[in-house]
Amino acid sequence: MRRRASVALLLALVVAQANPALAYLKFGTTVGGRQVTLKWSQMPVRYFVTNVSVPGVSADDFQAAVGRAFATWHAVETASISYQLGGATNAAPGRDDGLSTLGFVSRPDLDRVLASTSFLVDAATGALVESDIFFNAAFPWSVASGGEANRFDLESIALHEIGHFSGLGHSALGETELRAGGGRTVLAAEAVMFPIAFAPGSTAGRRLKADDIAGISDLYPAGGAQALGSISGRVTKNGAGIFGAHVVAFDPATGSMVANFTLNANGQFSIGGLSPGPRIVRVEPLDDADLDGFFDPSRQVDLDFRVAFPDRVVIVPRGGDSGEIAIAVVAK
Amino acid sequence: MRTTSVLVCLLLIAPAAPARATVVVPADLGELARDAIAIARGRVAAVNAQWTDDRGTIETIVTLDVESYLKGSFGSVLRFRVPGGELGRFRSIVVGAPEFVVDQRVVVFLGARAPAMPFIVGFNQGVFRVVAGESGWIVTPPANLPAVANVRVVRGDAARRPLPLADFELRVRTLAGSSR
Repeated sequence: MRRRASVALLLALVVAQANPALAYLKFGTTVGGRQVTLKWSQMPVRYFVTNVSVPGVSADDFQAAVGRAFATWHAVETASISYQLGGATNAAPGRDDGLSTLGFVSRPDLDRVLASTSFLVDAATGALVESDIFFNAAFPWSVASGGEANRFDLESIALHEIGHFSGLGHSALGETELRAGGGRTVLAAEAVMFPIAFAPGSTAGRRLKADDIAGISDLYPAGGAQALGSISGRVTKNGAGIFGAHVVAFDPATGSMVANFTLNANGQFSIGGLSPGPRIVRVEPLDDADLDGFFDPSRQVDLDFRVAFPDRVVIVPRGGDSGEIAIAVVAK
Repeated sequence: MRTTSVLVCLLLIAPAAPARATVVVPADLGELARDAIAIARGRVAAVNAQWTDDRGTIETIVTLDVESYLKGSFGSVLRFRVPGGELGRFRSIVVGAPEFVVDQRVVVFLGARAPAMPFIVGFNQGVFRVVAGESGWIVTPPANLPAVANVRVVRGDAARRPLPLADFELRVRTLAGSSR
């Protein structure tokens, strides 16, 4: 009966393609021919947790770890999003039952997927109705405060997924290394929303970075957000705009980075949620990534260009925009 | 139960769309080649979405007319499953899940757990597209090739280019231990 109701519910849905919107890499949907950013409209956002445990993580451990991850996003001073635990449920994540549910599910066929976030979106308004997160029980997990060898840190992965749950897409602010003898590891990530995980045992993903804070502040601006500024501009090759160029704004005062992509055929980009001050801007191709994790597969992402910089330091004004920055790139 | 009923009523009035996102464990081409039970190059013949039996969501069955196997074999016509897809008026979106289009040429790295249908190894990491380049067929995106020493991946490096198809296949066969 429950499944029948779920199928009936799905049959009532009209699906619109989710695309990133301009201004930040975040989820969007098409409503009435226009792009609407997916975000929660009512606070606090209520979530439920399942009472499923896995080796090394009891149901209570799970609830506590995801609670800490929610609290980390909630603590961003320049963002207004808040969350509230609704309680425990027997319903598995992925069911369209009106509850936003987090829990373990075993998916051995998703052999390299640690966790996944799903949404139900009101396509008439673009409002989020429900979001679920499943953590793949086929992997070994840990909630140890200092991490645990050969086990993935639940709080770190939860922090990433809750970023999606809140409406953020992936960030490309990460660096990887191909290892001798095989394998690929993450060297560093300047965003929790970087889509590939640190090695098991690492707890480096428990703290938000500037890019995450800029993103959530852009989505849910709070009082202090009015003082933040933005950088916008256009990336071209042979005089034509290019899609999918990764544009990074580096703050020499703090060492932090915030980034976005050119998100239309004109090669335009916009990076919001920036504190005032100078930035060094760099443009690079996303030629080391699995593009389906960032963009709709129908988009033609340009990977054939060299790293480039504008000819000057860019100033982010308080509460304003830099004005259009023009960056020309050349083919490899 | 009351919550579900209220939600169904709400959604009948205001249609909605599902979408998903993921975090993955990264792989290089050598790991993908070793982990895969079969590696096939072919042309997508059909893409059919269907309801899953157990989760009430949509998955897509992809039919591939196989041109060549680089490892193993599932026969001349291969079918495998990917999460999400379109069914009638509905589309389930799994951010990061590979999507396929009829007539597209691809190389896919496949796993299988009987009796279930084969699946893509490494999620989106196990799919490469075969497209026409300036001087023949090339495979994109650029593959992360196994290294003999630790090597930092540098974006924009002129060497990070899609490989010619013949070169890609030779490397994969070698990595899979099935050079022929």
